[in-house]
Amino acid sequence: MKPKTADRIATIVFWLLGGITVGVLLFIILQIFGRGLLTALNPKFLLGKPEAMKEGGGIFPMIISSLYLTGLTLLIALPVSLGAAIYLAEYSREGRVTGAIRFCVDSLAGLPSIVFGIFGMTLFVIYFGWGYSLIAGAFTCAILNLPTLMRSSEESIRSVPGTYREASFSLGATRWTTVRQVVLPSATPGILAGTMLTIGRILGESAAIVYTAGLFVRKAPTSPMDTAAPLASYIWYAQTEALIPDFRRVVDGGAAFLLLLVLLMNFLARRLARYYQRKKLAGGADG
Amino acid sequence: MKGSNGAGGRERVIRFALFAMASISIFSVLLILLFIFKESLPAIRSQGFTLLTTNWSPNVSDPSAGSYGMLAFLNGTILTTLGGMALGAPLGVGTAVFIIQIAPERIEGILRRGIEMLAGIPSVIIGWFGLTLLVPYIARVTGTSGYGILAASIVLAVMVLPTVVVLSMEALKSLPHELEEASLAMGATRWQTIRHALLPAARRGILVAVILGMGRAIGETMAVQMVVGNARQLAFSLTERTSTLTSRIITDMGESTGVFRSALFAQGLVLLLLVMLLILGVKLVSRDKKVK
Repeated sequence: MKPKTADRIATIVFWLLGGITVGVLLFIILQIFGRGLLTALNPKFLLGKPEAMKEGGGIFPMIISSLYLTGLTLLIALPVSLGAAIYLAEYSREGRVTGAIRFCVDSLAGLPSIVFGIFGMTLFVIYFGWGYSLIAGAFTCAILNLPTLMRSSEESIRSVPGTYREASFSLGATRWTTVRQVVLPSATPGILAGTMLTIGRILGESAAIVYTAGLFVRKAPTSPMDTAAPLASYIWYAQTEALIPDFRRVVDGGAAFLLLLVLLMNFLARRLARYYQRKKLAGGADG
Repeated sequence: MKGSNGAGGRERVIRFALFAMASISIFSVLLILLFIFKESLPAIRSQGFTLLTTNWSPNVSDPSAGSYGMLAFLNGTILTTLGGMALGAPLGVGTAVFIIQIAPERIEGILRRGIEMLAGIPSVIIGWFGLTLLVPYIARVTGTSGYGILAASIVLAVMVLPTVVVLSMEALKSLPHELEEASLAMGATRWQTIRHALLPAARRGILVAVILGMGRAIGETMAVQMVVGNARQLAFSLTERTSTLTSRIITDMGESTGVFRSALFAQGLVLLLLVMLLILGVKLVSRDKKVK
């Protein structure tokens, strides 16, 4: 075969591969929205109580569970991951301890969520005696999302120009004052972008949740010790058990609503990241 | 850190607090290893090598009377992962090459955004998609139930795609521009440049992308559970119902007690070791690169 012909064939094949990837994505999104969006945007479905045996149930307690779980998880994970990121970016020297920390963060990031799920069940649900509860789910989810949050925060902190710090030091500020007054404010949009992505991940998480927070409730949880049924867990439960006669409608609607939430979070994350980049460019032009 | 005044003392306290937060990751990994291992001990003790057979006959009312061999599910995990990678790795690497080398700028942006979106789609949603569209389709074409390794492999291919594409793109982007320019200047076509210059130069990074994609595939639970059929049998045929380690754990954990539950933790331990092995592999591959 002539090189020219081979090149042309290869180009066609690469276009095809790219096309398949986009095609798969579009197909999934259109299918999920096509089947479920009408149900998902129906107030009776969103604000309704779930049914166990008959038709017409809604997902209100599941939405509240998802939001509650997300809030609690961030409450635990954000301070810890931010502190860890500040330590790694501003205080640590690369050495054996830092290497061990990084290796463990990589390992945590690679572990399957089901492993976090059965770990959380043993430690929080059984050993601590918390039962299936929001707080058990939140601690499990916090450990699961620690690596993502840490990495994105560390990256945002590291990308703050060194000249900012030098200026602050030269005015006599201590390291902590510099971090708090100078570094963190400039890194905030980047940290927020990482947080949005994490919120999307928490909303979609199920394998780590079903045996820690729970998978079915009739009433929205109020206390952190209450059993919950985050939307993703409930979707899995409703289709696996298939006890409700109209489980297809419920799962279709739930899936469409969940996808809508997750895509919204991704959109916000991208917006923040772009805003951040623009600001950084502007900051660079000033200097 | 100079002086012994209040500010220096405060700095030291803060430094220690931050260090403590950073160490939580070490602490978490150790706790997870410890607990998963401890919980699987009863099964390892009472079942011994039976754990590594295909004899899975749990006894719910008297767990210690059952037999808990996990080989059929390990087989399921390995086959679905290999199947997922066989489809997902070429597609992912090819897409990465397309984005970096071939796509016009506008299409490149759409693709990047699309990959980000795909990475964010929850696994229950991909599973539901597989269950309601893919499985019936396979059933119609092959005349079987539609559940099984083939359906799970396709679902996994979709799920590993973002990991493989993003990391391969990084590997390709980190190559020096001169490499491409030199190859093109010597009269090589774009395909010759990709095949003989770019892909070989980026092979370590691409290998890392594939290994990390594999890690995702091994651990994927919900989407696989929904399409693999969850039969407790050893299967080699593409369209026979079977289970993976993850699907077995999530299906049985709720109703299991005693040795039965412990055997599920032993499966979790195997899962954990497999993934740790892959992470170590990634470390080795990327360390070699630094030495060179």
